[in-house]
Amino acid sequence: MKTQIVFAGVGGQGIVFASRIFSELGLKLGMDVMGSETHGMSQRGGSVVAHLKLGDFYGPIIREGTADILYSLEEMETYRVLKFLKRGGRCFVNLEDIERFDQKIFDHLQSKEILFRAFDASGEAFKIGSVKSANILLIGYSVGTGLVPFKRNDISSVLETVSRRENLEMNLKAFEDGVQQGRAERK
Amino acid sequence: MDGNKEIRVLLGNVAVARGIVESGCHVVTSYPGTPSSEIVPAVVMFKKELDLNTYVEWSTNEKVAFDNALAASLTGKRVAVAMKQVGLNVASDSLMSSAYTGVIGGLVIISCDDPGPHSSQTEQDSRFYAMFAKIPVLDPSTPQEAKKMVRDAFELSEEFQIPVLLRPTIRVSHAKQNVRLLPPQVLERPAHFKKDPDRWAATPRYRLVLHTRLNDTLERIQAKFEQDTKWNYEAISSPGAELGIITCSASFVALMDILEEFNLKKIVDVLKIGSPYPLPQNKVRDFIDRHEKTLVLEEPGAVIETQIIDKNKVLGRMSGHVPLQGELTPEVLYDILAKVLKELEIFKLNAISDPKLDQLVSALDLPVRRPTLCAGCPERAAFFAIKKAFPKAIYPSDIGCYTLGLNLKAVDTVLDMGAGITFASGFYQAYHQDGKDIPIIATMGDSTFYHSGTASLLNAVYNNARFILVILDNEITAMTGMQPTPGLGITADGSQGIKIPLEELIKGCGVKWIRTIDPYDVKGLIKILKEAREYTQKSDGGIAVIIARHPCLIQYPEICQTNRVKVEITDECNGCMYCIDFFECPALRPDEKEDVVKIDRTLCIDCGVCIHVCPRGAIVRKNEKSLEQIE
Repeated sequence: MKTQIVFAGVGGQGIVFASRIFSELGLKLGMDVMGSETHGMSQRGGSVVAHLKLGDFYGPIIREGTADILYSLEEMETYRVLKFLKRGGRCFVNLEDIERFDQKIFDHLQSKEILFRAFDASGEAFKIGSVKSANILLIGYSVGTGLVPFKRNDISSVLETVSRRENLEMNLKAFEDGVQQGRAERK
Repeated sequence: MDGNKEIRVLLGNVAVARGIVESGCHVVTSYPGTPSSEIVPAVVMFKKELDLNTYVEWSTNEKVAFDNALAASLTGKRVAVAMKQVGLNVASDSLMSSAYTGVIGGLVIISCDDPGPHSSQTEQDSRFYAMFAKIPVLDPSTPQEAKKMVRDAFELSEEFQIPVLLRPTIRVSHAKQNVRLLPPQVLERPAHFKKDPDRWAATPRYRLVLHTRLNDTLERIQAKFEQDTKWNYEAISSPGAELGIITCSASFVALMDILEEFNLKKIVDVLKIGSPYPLPQNKVRDFIDRHEKTLVLEEPGAVIETQIIDKNKVLGRMSGHVPLQGELTPEVLYDILAKVLKELEIFKLNAISDPKLDQLVSALDLPVRRPTLCAGCPERAAFFAIKKAFPKAIYPSDIGCYTLGLNLKAVDTVLDMGAGITFASGFYQAYHQDGKDIPIIATMGDSTFYHSGTASLLNAVYNNARFILVILDNEITAMTGMQPTPGLGITADGSQGIKIPLEELIKGCGVKWIRTIDPYDVKGLIKILKEAREYTQKSDGGIAVIIARHPCLIQYPEICQTNRVKVEITDECNGCMYCIDFFECPALRPDEKEDVVKIDRTLCIDCGVCIHVCPRGAIVRKNEKSLEQIE
């Protein structure tokens, strides 16, 4: 399996941590892992993008039009990175209200057979009392929908190894909550 | 201690650090700078994990780091010095000379390039420094390769007694990859400096001898690179291919992914160069001879291409096939390849972009999310006070978080580390010559001042310049990831060093007027700024220095817990957006529906500074209607 994932958001939303979850997942599954992060200026509120490749690749940077999955934690940033998705890719966006998403772009994504899913990860994070968990909720949601090739148990066991002790319980809760929300949409 | 070949996903810089540790390196020095900053903290991490005796130092600047490392090498120890590419400019004096004197223990210089540039003032190519200084350079493509090359660089350095440059680009430094860890080599190297003044204190006459030796050494290194197949090899070799591509660093792996994806491996040959200087000329010539045309893909400079003697069949930057600036992203590489394959009538690669999507997205006219100072950042408070006190001054500034004072229009110039002060004195002298007296307010961070402020300041004092210098002292090197400064007195591995207060240093530079204030006290700072200006205008006055001291909120979040000033916005807000435009705190957000400004409580840290900002006094201390507005 070769999988390319793009993560987008702004500084402080846990983009690097989200990417780390999948790199540790790759390691656990015995796959080659490569990726790329933005550092420096971006920590001061700028756009943050991370690339992750699982499987047999030479380099860490994802070329436009080739990503299998996009996770975006911020609406505006989503538009900037949509170009990375391949035809038929999967797009998971932290979005309070899908009606707010640009209709023309939505239609264009449909024409490229991109599966677009909006999920109010921030709202959900607020509900469970952990505003910083939107990243994990969105990942959980994607797993719940069954549209990504990752197993729920694999990710929760990765969460156990990568989470700080004080965050572990909340991270697992956020992940499970996301999974349930994703599943609910399957029916 | 782990000797069990554990695999971890490491950032390129952490892989380099691991390579340093595995090579048994004794001394590591550095000055932080993106994209190199994570190397030293990772060395400290491995040092602690493996209980090693490595000496690790955050030096005050890159030249200082270089010299300290070089001296340790003269005692026989293995040493590494790390910096960003423009840091090598600062260390270049030492670099040039050390190529002549050579080294004893292995000296590996790590200079991280930044094509793009993502976080630098230039797109310079450190490999040109290797060529300029006449030292060999290794050029890794991935974190895995970088780690291996560190080890080889030490061996090469010791075999030929020459400094060796390792040149990762940002796409290696900030890439991550699964890397196999090896146990660290243990090298017993008790310090022993063998005196040899003809070499270590060579006069010009002996320098000629050393230069002759250096040229001979380079020739032998080149011969070694000709034989080498580990770093210089044909990654793709298919009979009858008309197009050859010579490539290196991150371009190599990005290209290989494209060739694989589009099934082009049977159509082109690829020569991977891991030692771009001195170039293995025979290997390169033979490769070029065997192909109709050869494309050279490297970044950011044309180091390989420059060295190719016969460029008749070569396509690259000099032939106009490769852009002269900017990063060779996979998209750019694809376009270059498509153009060349088409030109040579070898293959037609279709355009891969999605112009319709680009068009739809650009129609949204998305706001540029420019980086900004954090909510509650003391530097914002200082800039606001400076602008209030002197709205029309010249504002020379410098490199650090506070470069973002640009957004507040309180920064006019940013050249390089230290130029905040030299520009202030230069501007002063230029106007003074014409008999004009204008306010000049220079800003510089504490770490930058320790890096290169003192020589500039004492020059300005000595030559009787007059300006105000505001040192934005947040007690840390914030932008590059919270490295300690001499003002803090904590060293790279967390142990206690000697604290050197800014006040003493500035006094030592001959400054007679020094005030320290917390910039959260905006009124107080404005008052002091005006006094400072008076001092600069007095006949027996001089340069006035204000230390605006408040700890960085990211590094010292506990500070936010004390002296909280909860603010609220009253109905007086008429949506004039003055606070958004001139204060730009991320916690103040325009509310489009109601056409007023609102406070984002998730970002606000209750610093209370914005109370001073609103011209209508609509931002007030919560439950307190008294208006505390600056007249």
